[in-house]
Amino acid sequence: MRPPRGRGGGGGFRGGRGDGGGRGRGGGRGGGGGRGGGSAMRGRGGGRGGGRGGGRGRGGGGMKGGSKVVVEPHRHEGVFIAKGKEDALVTKNLVAGEAVYNEKRISVQNEDGTKVEYRIWNPFRSKLAAAVLGGVDNIWIKPGARVLYLGAASGTTVSHVSDIVGPNGVVYAVEFSHRSGRDLVNMAKKRTNVIPIIEDARHPAKYRMLVGMVDVIFSDVAQPDQARILALNASYFLKAGGHFVISIKANCIDSTVPAEAVFQSEVKKLQQEQFKPFEQVTLEPFERDHACVVGGYRMPKKQKA
Amino acid sequence: MLVLFETPAGFALFKVLDEGKLSKVEGLWQEFNSAESARQMVKLKAFSKFENTSEALKAATCLLESKPSKDLRKFLRTHCDGETLAVADSKLGNAIKDKLKIECVHNNAVMELMRGVRSQLTELISGLAGQDLQPMSLGLSHSLSRYKLKFSADKVDTMIIQAIGLLDDLDKELNTYAMRVREWYGWHFPELAKIIQDNILYAKAVKLMGDRSNAAKLDFSEILPEEVEAQLKEAAMISMGTEVSDLDLLNIKELCDQVLSLAEYRAQLYDYLKSRMNTVAPNLTALVGELVGARLIAHGGSLLNLAKQPGSTVQILGAEKALFRALKTKHATPKYGLIYHASLVGQAAPKHKGKISRSLASKTALAIRYDALGDGQDNSMGLENRAKLEARLRNLEGKELGRAAGSAKGKPKIEVYDKDRKKGPGAMITAAKTYNPAADSILGLMENAASKDDEEKPMEEVAVGQEKKEKKKKKSKKADDERTNGNVEAENEESVKKEKKKRKKQVVEAGGENVEAGEKKKKKRKHSEANEEESEVPSKKEKKKKKKNDD
Repeated sequence: MRPPRGRGGGGGFRGGRGDGGGRGRGGGRGGGGGRGGGSAMRGRGGGRGGGRGGGRGRGGGGMKGGSKVVVEPHRHEGVFIAKGKEDALVTKNLVAGEAVYNEKRISVQNEDGTKVEYRIWNPFRSKLAAAVLGGVDNIWIKPGARVLYLGAASGTTVSHVSDIVGPNGVVYAVEFSHRSGRDLVNMAKKRTNVIPIIEDARHPAKYRMLVGMVDVIFSDVAQPDQARILALNASYFLKAGGHFVISIKANCIDSTVPAEAVFQSEVKKLQQEQFKPFEQVTLEPFERDHACVVGGYRMPKKQKA
Repeated sequence: MLVLFETPAGFALFKVLDEGKLSKVEGLWQEFNSAESARQMVKLKAFSKFENTSEALKAATCLLESKPSKDLRKFLRTHCDGETLAVADSKLGNAIKDKLKIECVHNNAVMELMRGVRSQLTELISGLAGQDLQPMSLGLSHSLSRYKLKFSADKVDTMIIQAIGLLDDLDKELNTYAMRVREWYGWHFPELAKIIQDNILYAKAVKLMGDRSNAAKLDFSEILPEEVEAQLKEAAMISMGTEVSDLDLLNIKELCDQVLSLAEYRAQLYDYLKSRMNTVAPNLTALVGELVGARLIAHGGSLLNLAKQPGSTVQILGAEKALFRALKTKHATPKYGLIYHASLVGQAAPKHKGKISRSLASKTALAIRYDALGDGQDNSMGLENRAKLEARLRNLEGKELGRAAGSAKGKPKIEVYDKDRKKGPGAMITAAKTYNPAADSILGLMENAASKDDEEKPMEEVAVGQEKKEKKKKKSKKADDERTNGNVEAENEESVKKEKKKRKKQVVEAGGENVEAGEKKKKKRKHSEANEEESEVPSKKEKKKKKKNDD
C-alpha cells in the first residue's frame, strides 16, 4: 500500500513523516491552520517551535527598530537579507502593514525618508526559502515573472512569491483542499497578483481558462505521482524554455528506499518528460529527506557557433 | 479546422490556416515562437466576450463539468457551421457533438496548438492586452473559488469529522476532570474512590453528599445500588480522610457539576453523531459501528475519499506509523488500525483478530463505496455482510476446536517449545550429547549457577545452551571443539584462550580475569534463557499486546 492519494478534505495519511519519529520539530502546524487540511496531509511539521530563521533575537518587538537592521538585496532578485542580530531572509511586503501568517515585519527607512516594509521568510515553513538558503543557483522566480504554484496550501509561501514577483508579475496558486483553500482565497484578496484556484492539480484542464502561459512552475504537491502532475501542468502552461522548481519529499514517494534513490528516480522521470534538471539541493537542515530540483522545460537546442 | 479557446475574458474561435503542420506535433511549437509566425498559423475568427463576472462564472462552472454553456452553444452555432472543432477537453467535445452536431477533435496536436495559442494569446486577439486579461482572470478565479467553497460537496462529512473530533476531546477532558474530582475529594473521603468506580456516579454521589458526615442521613438509592450504598455509609463513619471546610466542598461540588454537565453534553453529542452516521453511511455504521465508522471517515477526509481506498488500506488506516516503520525495516506490516476497535474484531480470539480484521476491512470498503456512491438508503447490505462475517468468525473458532490437539498450523505442539533449538544447526543437538562439559575449566562454576537458578531445567537443555555459547565465543575454534572429545585438559583450553588473547594483543596475564568475565557473561545468558523458557507463552502474548499498542 502506498500513501493514499486522496487530496481532499483533511485527506490522507498524516504525513509519511510518521515513521522515524525523532527530531521533534515543533509539532505540526496546529489545528486547521497551515498546511493542515491539505493534500494528503503533508505533515510538514515545520514551523512554530523550530528555531525561526531569525527575528526571535530581540524578543517582543522582533527586528523592529529599523536603525539597527540593514536590509541588503540577496543574490536572487526580489529576495533580501535583513542583517540585524541574526540574519534573516526577507521579502519586500507588497501590502505594507499586513502580515499574512503572523510573521515578523521589519520597517526600514530609506535615505529619502520613505519607509519600506519587509516580511521575514521562515525557511522552516517554506521549502522555497529553504532552497534559497540551501544555496540554489537560480530560483527563476523574479520580479515580473509569471508563476504557477502547485500545492499552494494556505498561501504562506505564495505570499512571499507574490512579494518577489511584485505588481507586474502574477502567481497562479493551485490548491485542492477546501480547508486551506479558504485561507488562500483570503490571502489573495489582499494581493491582486495572486490568482487562487481551488482545483486538483492533476486536472489542469479544469483551470485552463484561468491560467495563461507562465515562466516558472513551482511544485510542492508531495504526491507519489508529482512528476507526472508537474509534466501535465507544464504541457498546458509552461512556455518553452521556461523553468520549474519542484520540491521532492522522499517519504511521500517511497518510504522504503533511501532518499537519495528516490531523488534519482524522480529526476529520471522528469528527464523523460522533456524537463532538463539543472541542479538539485537538499533542504537540510530545514526539512528532512527533502530535495529541491530546479531545471528547464523544452530548452532550445544550443546553436553551434 | 477551428480551435475553441477559452479565456477569462470570453470564448475565442481560431481558424487554423495551415492544417498540414498539425501532423508534425513535435515541431508545432516553433510556429508559435514569434507573433508573426503564429499569425500565419492561426487567425482569430470570432470572439464572444463575457458581459460581466456572473456570466463568466456561469460559463466557467459549465466548463468544469465539461458541458457547453448556453452562450457557448449559441456562439458555436453561429460561427462553426460545417467545420471540425478542436477542443481542449474531450468530454466537452463529446457534449458539443451530441448537442450541436459539430465534429470535435481532441488529440496531442490539438494540445500543442492550444499551448501555442496560449503563448501568443495577446498577440492573436487584437484588443485584448495582457493587462486587460489579468483583472478578468483575477475576478473570475475569486468568484469561482468562492463558489467552490460555498458548495463544498463533503459538507455532511465535515459535520461528522468535527463531531467525532469533539467527542474525543470531550472524553479526554471528562476523564481529566473526573480524576481531579477523585483526587480532590479523596482528601476528605479517600475510601469512596474504591467503593464507586464509575466517574459519573462518583461525581453524583459527591454532589449529593458534600461532607461525608451527611452520608448516613442521605438516601443514595437513586444513584447507587443498595450494597454500594451500604458500603459507602459504613466507610463514611470510619473514614480516615481529613476534614474540609464548607467553602472547599462548595468548589468540589462545582467541579462535580462541570463533570456531570460535560457527561450530559457528551451523551447528546453521541446521539447526534449516531443519527448523522446512520443517514450518511448506514452500511458502514452497520458493519463497524458509529464511532469507528466516524473515525474512518475523519481519517480519510471524507466519505468519498475513503471510498477511493482499497480494503487493505482501510484495514490499517490509523496505523500509519507502524506501517511505515514496518515497510522501512522490512518487518511484518500491522494487521489492524482503527478497525481494531470494531466489535467484530473485539469478539474474535487474539489468534483470529488479524484474519477477521482483513475480512471486515474488505467488507467495510465495499460498504463505504455503497454508501458514498450507491443509491440505497438503508443498511440492509451492511447487516447482510455483518451476518456473513459473524458466520466466518464462528467458522474460524469452530476450526480451532477441531484441531485442539495441534497448534494452529496443524503441526505438533512440541515444535513450538523446541523453537529455539531449531534455530541452530541440527548437528549441534547431537553434538551436545557427546560433549563433556567437565572439559571446560569454567563449567563447574557455571553448572552450579545453573542448578541454583532452575533445578527443573533438563540437563540436555543446559548442554545445548553451553554448546551454543561455546560456538559463539569461538567461532573460529570450531575445529578445536570437535577435537575436545570430552577429555580435553583445562590447560589445553587455556592455551586456546591465550592464543586468542594474543591475537587481540592483550597481556597474557589478563587471561584469568578474562575467563572470569566470560563466566559472568555466561551466567547472565543462562538467566535470560531460563526466563525465556518460563515465559514463552506470556511473552507471545506480550508481543501481541505490543502490536496492539503500536496500532
